[in-house]
Amino acid sequence: MDTENTNLFEFAAFDELESEHIAAPRYSYWKSVWRTFFKNKFTVAVAILLIFIVAFALIQPMKSGYSPTVTPNINNADMKFLKPGPGHIFGTDHVGNEVFDAVWAGARNSIIISFICTAINMLVGIPIGALWGFSKKMDKWMIEVYNIISNIPFLLLAMILSYVLGAGMRSLIITMTCTEWIFVAYFIRTQVMIIRDREYNLASKCLGTRTGTMIVKNILPYLISVIMTYISRQIPNLISYEVFLSYMGLGLGTTNASLGQTISMYTSYMKGYPHLFWIPVSVLAIISISLYIVGQKLADAADPRTHM
Amino acid sequence: MSNEQREVILSVKHVDITFDKFKAVKDANFDIYKGETFALVGESGSGKTTIGRAIMRINPCSAGEILFEGKRISGKISKEEDRNVVRNIQMIFQDPAASLNERATIEYCVSEGLYNFHLYKDEEDRIAKVDHALESVGLLPEHKSRYPHEFSGGQRQRVGIARAMIMDPKFIVADEPISALDVSIRAQVLNLMNKLKAEKNLTYLFIAHDLSVVRFIADRIAVIHHGEIVEIADSETLFKFPVHPYTISLLSAVPMPDPVVERTRRAIVYDPSVLDQSGEKREMREIRPGHFVYCTNREYGDYEDKMLQMEREMA
Repeated sequence: MDTENTNLFEFAAFDELESEHIAAPRYSYWKSVWRTFFKNKFTVAVAILLIFIVAFALIQPMKSGYSPTVTPNINNADMKFLKPGPGHIFGTDHVGNEVFDAVWAGARNSIIISFICTAINMLVGIPIGALWGFSKKMDKWMIEVYNIISNIPFLLLAMILSYVLGAGMRSLIITMTCTEWIFVAYFIRTQVMIIRDREYNLASKCLGTRTGTMIVKNILPYLISVIMTYISRQIPNLISYEVFLSYMGLGLGTTNASLGQTISMYTSYMKGYPHLFWIPVSVLAIISISLYIVGQKLADAADPRTHM
Repeated sequence: MSNEQREVILSVKHVDITFDKFKAVKDANFDIYKGETFALVGESGSGKTTIGRAIMRINPCSAGEILFEGKRISGKISKEEDRNVVRNIQMIFQDPAASLNERATIEYCVSEGLYNFHLYKDEEDRIAKVDHALESVGLLPEHKSRYPHEFSGGQRQRVGIARAMIMDPKFIVADEPISALDVSIRAQVLNLMNKLKAEKNLTYLFIAHDLSVVRFIADRIAVIHHGEIVEIADSETLFKFPVHPYTISLLSAVPMPDPVVERTRRAIVYDPSVLDQSGEKREMREIRPGHFVYCTNREYGDYEDKMLQMEREMA
């Protein structure tokens, strides 16, 4: 090669410290979760709809003061079975009450019950499941406890509890939590077992990290996404449980409104006045589906593999 | 220096490790001296990682015992001793991508040991220690707030080394620390390990399958095959005078960066049928000072002949 040509080149300086530098902007887990979540317009629309429905269900009954036992128009034939229209958005029912008020009062109780039950099931199930997955000793007897509890027929348990405790919100919450938590725990146990023996957990063990710290720092952060998926299924599930139990007469009783109660009350008028049945069912469907969609999308966004 | 004068830091005595009915390690025997790099070499599945993990007390021994500074560390030990062992014996893992917690910052990963033993006066002191540990492995303090997935393989492995070094250990089990790394950065990590060893007066148990790397880093080498340690010697001796047929076949497989040699190289396939099949129990015998081979009485005679022949050829 020509010696003159080599003069055209210059040695580039090499800075070892500079080569260690990471140029990418700082990564923050939760910021990335929200960014991924809000990127999808459809998800945002469903989330807004969901927030609106839940807020409306919580506020509207306070204004209307609806109760199935209060029936001021029961002797006024002109007020009964009105079609949906101006003045009566969802029409009126067999006792002359506004269906609109009845549906939202019902939705309010159903939402409250399912949220409380989900919270209890998760708060009990996740810590127990995490320990259960970690400890081989605990697994031996917990699996027997699980076999016993999971074999109790749910309907039988619901009937017995409603006879013993009487109908009402308290008994309904107890019915939907006293065995349900073990399914959450079992689910978490399996998830923990999958990642328990990964190398980074061995590394923590070699550094002397205690089990509790390992669950909080090493295991649960990896499970955020699967736990969110579970919650997004659990809330609509419990709403339908509530509807089912109230429909069977094992739920809140006739003095309290709930979606199940409302649907069961209106079922008898399905032939003549189908809107009485279909309106509360549609509200139930919209709440369940939007909860499910938002939960699923949140779970997806919580998975860091989607953050790139 | 002759081996008798040197201080033994870790000794493995007649250790068996079984998983259900499968014997992963049979009758393992070796001493590791303070300040040396002791390599454990064998093919995959030979039980080398299992021995490393037994020393870390992840795998329990089914027979025999492991002593650290003269005290037994295998089996049940008191809580105090357990903490002492954790502080003094640390591990560097094979796969840097799998051995760091992906959901924690580098700061937490490196501080983990400090938190567990409360090895710092206050927050400021902890941060200073983390910064120092990161700098000692060639990383920057600004990396603290980053997550493991933002780093390259070599950087991650250095985070793993920093995390072990911050505990100020005496003994390090390095389980194939470079086999998951890019060839271009292997030397960087090995040099770093050697630098830290000199600075902190460390002892390494270096687990590897790559003999060319082992020759570069190890003072003594143990060859393990199917859970049995077959030969132990100084690395130069082992490369010059291998006597066990398995060691010979392993050495014959080492590639040389020389096309002429490579063209004529014949890999010797290990044939266990040449061993003594009488069923006599084998034991570690010292064929030359510091050179041990696992054999029966008859095999010992054969190896002695082979040794004498090799020594004649060398002379």
